[in-house]
Amino acid sequence: MFRTFALSLALVLSAPVLADQASKILDELVLPGFADLATSSAVMADVAQADCTAASEPLRVAYATAFDAWIGVSHLRFGPTETENRGFALAFWPDSRSSTPKTLSALIASQDPVVDDTEAFRSVSIAGRGFYALEYLLYDDRLNALGDESYRCALVQAIARDIADTSHAMNRDWLVRYADEMRTPRKGGVYQTRDEVLQELYKALDTGLQINSDLRLGRPLGTFDRPRPRRAEAWRSGRSLRHVQISLERVHALAGLLAAGNAQLSQVLDVKFETALRKVDALDDPDFAGVATPAGHFRVEALQQVINDIHTEVTHSLGPELGVSVGFNSLDGD
Amino acid sequence: MKSLFFAATALGLTMGTAVLAANKADVLSNYATIAEAKYQDSLITAQLLQSAVNKLIANPSAENLQLAKDAWLASRVPYQQTEVYRFGNAIVDEWEGKVNAWPLDEGLIDYVDASYGGPSDENELAALNIVANPSFTLSGKTVDAVKITPQLLADTLHEADGIEANVATGYHAIEFLLWGQDLNGHGIGAGNRPWTDYAKGENCTHDNCDRRGQYLKAATDLLVSDLEWMAAQWADGGAARASVLEDENAGIVTIVTGMGSLSYGEQAGERMRLGVMLNDPEEEHDCFSDNTHNSHYYDGLGVQNVYLGEYVRVNGELVSGPALADLVAAADADLDVEMRTKLATTMMALGRIKTAAESGFAYDQMLERGNAAGEALIMGGVDGLIDQTRSIQRITATLKLDNIDFEGSDSLDNPNAVFH
Repeated sequence: MFRTFALSLALVLSAPVLADQASKILDELVLPGFADLATSSAVMADVAQADCTAASEPLRVAYATAFDAWIGVSHLRFGPTETENRGFALAFWPDSRSSTPKTLSALIASQDPVVDDTEAFRSVSIAGRGFYALEYLLYDDRLNALGDESYRCALVQAIARDIADTSHAMNRDWLVRYADEMRTPRKGGVYQTRDEVLQELYKALDTGLQINSDLRLGRPLGTFDRPRPRRAEAWRSGRSLRHVQISLERVHALAGLLAAGNAQLSQVLDVKFETALRKVDALDDPDFAGVATPAGHFRVEALQQVINDIHTEVTHSLGPELGVSVGFNSLDGD
Repeated sequence: MKSLFFAATALGLTMGTAVLAANKADVLSNYATIAEAKYQDSLITAQLLQSAVNKLIANPSAENLQLAKDAWLASRVPYQQTEVYRFGNAIVDEWEGKVNAWPLDEGLIDYVDASYGGPSDENELAALNIVANPSFTLSGKTVDAVKITPQLLADTLHEADGIEANVATGYHAIEFLLWGQDLNGHGIGAGNRPWTDYAKGENCTHDNCDRRGQYLKAATDLLVSDLEWMAAQWADGGAARASVLEDENAGIVTIVTGMGSLSYGEQAGERMRLGVMLNDPEEEHDCFSDNTHNSHYYDGLGVQNVYLGEYVRVNGELVSGPALADLVAAADADLDVEMRTKLATTMMALGRIKTAAESGFAYDQMLERGNAAGEALIMGGVDGLIDQTRSIQRITATLKLDNIDFEGSDSLDNPNAVFH
């Protein structure tokens, strides 16, 4: 009885907060995130133009900054990211059939002139585009020595330029169209009701948590008897753990704004996210090579457990609080 | 609640009409009956495949290989329509990897072309070639494969080393054994395995014809017994039927989950869009037989016929009854029209792919880089599937199913169960 009362009170209090929740998320997280991606990718493309060698320190720094920006918005896999397969063009991973090295090797072997034409390059397989393809060219010992050096250079420049163009297109879409779609749901629009907008954002939170747990951590973990460190994301550049950290921070911010109407829940989530981030700090295993040892495996698994715990809390408390559920997401399926 | 619903719908109908708006129990019962019919049809057509395979092994010839291929193609028609039952029904989802796992590293099973490469970073067994090796090492242990039996395939080899691409059983393993690798790249033509791969004595090509025949027979027998088991789960008293009927709201969530998850993450994403984005002919669902256009078409048809509650059996008989469509129409007639329209639009788009492929524009060609017409055809299907998922999601809201996964005991235990 008392609980019911407390709950309905919370709902009443949260009503005005709910009203501009989506706008707040757009203004504080989404729009700055995509603006950052567009800017840093453009810088990376310019740096690559000036120096395209794999060992180039300025290029590696610019690459890291742009990749950070992408990871920060990578859980927002809808609208401008989904249009024209842009999300995939920036980030094709996991690559369980090694399509990325195969595609890059084929381009290099045939000296495919597609690198000279920005427009045509967009038709290249997603396995040969985006941040993960560029990682191979900058950090993989076999690929960064394969074939003709000047061709590899042109390929690095083409991929960097393509990333910048795709990022720019996403950012422009958000600014001219998509933010308004989310702010003002309407019959005939992308979102018909405010609930559908909240559901989209809630889904992004859910997706972010799942990607961290199932893919970024789950893939290298494998099983205790059969760990798979080489399945870690971006291990060649030593960015595997960093991606978990950046993503958790952004996903935490999103969860905080979604839970803003319920102080108690907000606090519960804060504590859990802080626990997860402390574990990330303490891990000291940038490319998850440590999963091959029993102690290292255990520590990464412990982090995964905290993220699963957050996911359970989100599903059982935040979803009902917002009155939405996950619905269908692109991770469904095999 | 239920009686209120009944009263409300009864008001809208003429007194004494035999046809009342559907109630949830009837919808679920018809959903289970259609599942039973689909799995029975899958079984019947797999048994025809089984006799064709037996005939091929007993009397190898070009004609008998072709008859086995024809039987395989026919068996895909009902099976693909069952895929809408996969997500949401735990019994089906846990089982389906045995019969329809894909994509596969086919070098595990039999000889492959040199361009296939050897073991990969991801899979040490990618080029194991069981047909050629009566004994081999797996995770440090020696495996005796002198006789290739259904047990060996199911218990030891399928998903060996914990790798999903090690597909040793099911439709696609059989497909590879009948067609062989499709080495035409983006060009016209499917796999071109010679019938002499099954010939006896010195006519045998690519060696080990007897073991290849053993493998083909073991895999086909296994498919038949797996389908027998699944058809029984949907019969009266079967576990899958009981599970759907157990809780009405959870049952409706199951229907909706199956439709949405197949449409979006699986078909639009994994099977169709990914292939276009990778320009990779190996990303075809039925890549050996070049039957992908049909796989996609009948997957889509399965989603539509579950919504409408009607299915045409392989003998032409129509199974129909109360459907999700009736529940939606009673709650929001506009949404029902929206859903029907979108399902029809998707079927039109998938039909275009099928028509083009059947008239000579193969699915591999559609996937080729820079093939704008092919990309447009496939993306038409993808867009239709994504768009229909939005309406399926609206159904969840309209039928107030949103919170059910927090109430149902199954999903409380495993929150991922419902939407995975």
